[in-house]
Amino acid sequence: MSSFSRSAQQWATFARSWLLIDARMQPPGKIASVCSVRLQGKHKPIYHPLSDIGDHVVVMNTRHIAFSGNKWEQKVYSSHTGYPGSFKQLTAAQMHQKDPTAIIKLAVYGMLPKNLTRRTMMQRLQLFPDDLLPDDILRNLTEELPQPREIPRKLSEYTQEERDAFPMLWTPFRAELRCRPVRMVC
Amino acid sequence: MSLLGMFWNQTVCLLQHFRGRKNRCYSLAVRAVRRAFVYASKARKAKRRSMRQLWIQRVAAASREQHMKYPALIHNLLKCSVALNRRVLCDLSITEPRSFQSLTALAHARRTEGLRAALGDGAEPPGVFSRITQLQ
Repeated sequence: MSSFSRSAQQWATFARSWLLIDARMQPPGKIASVCSVRLQGKHKPIYHPLSDIGDHVVVMNTRHIAFSGNKWEQKVYSSHTGYPGSFKQLTAAQMHQKDPTAIIKLAVYGMLPKNLTRRTMMQRLQLFPDDLLPDDILRNLTEELPQPREIPRKLSEYTQEERDAFPMLWTPFRAELRCRPVRMVC
Repeated sequence: MSLLGMFWNQTVCLLQHFRGRKNRCYSLAVRAVRRAFVYASKARKAKRRSMRQLWIQRVAAASREQHMKYPALIHNLLKCSVALNRRVLCDLSITEPRSFQSLTALAHARRTEGLRAALGDGAEPPGVFSRITQLQ
């Protein structure tokens, strides 16, 4: 580079950090895209495809991911070992039942660049089905990434005051019935 | 002065790392050297493309660190008549992070200018130097 300049020392520029992400109630594709960006090192201004500057990513609660739509029944994972008659097709629900970390693992594997560095990056990805993490990984963690999807609150989680304060958007059916003449039986 | 001698004198530094008989036998070496020169010429053009791609990736990463996206940054810097190219932006983002942060602040201010004019109270955003510019 022809434009080297004398600038302040920035410590730990090439450090490999350990990032945590909670996959509870999150779409697995969004989690996977965040993971793949961090594993490749594309979030760092010193990025180069050959430099191997990706971080470690730890994903917890992969058992509790939330596909949108009907993907649990409609999304199909196919595999073939090469031998005749061994074409297997599993729905996402069956795959998740068999191995709760497989969906995110396959999603991240598909999002990484298809070259020899992919396997090394996959080794830096740690997946845990629940929030029970081993001690040595807990000690290494440096940062928690924000969740990509904002989890909407259930109706039971709203307080009665908030429910009352919500504006009336349309008159409900019973109020309409009150306007119609009702036959009174004396 | 034999042609064969001239060939080997001129190309021995180039084809010493070639695989197999291409580094020893004349007929194979001639073809390999010609291909190598063709690849080198094509690569000189492709190098400029790949360097620009790398600069764009780095500037995008740095601007995402500052909560802004790359297209928004470039478009708003253009609107502010800041004519820094991608190479310089990439170097700034690596060696001068605070300068890059101020550039993203400028681009963000230019981006939200319309919204602030419509909703805000007409106050200038803090820390951003404002000056009317004519886009060239």
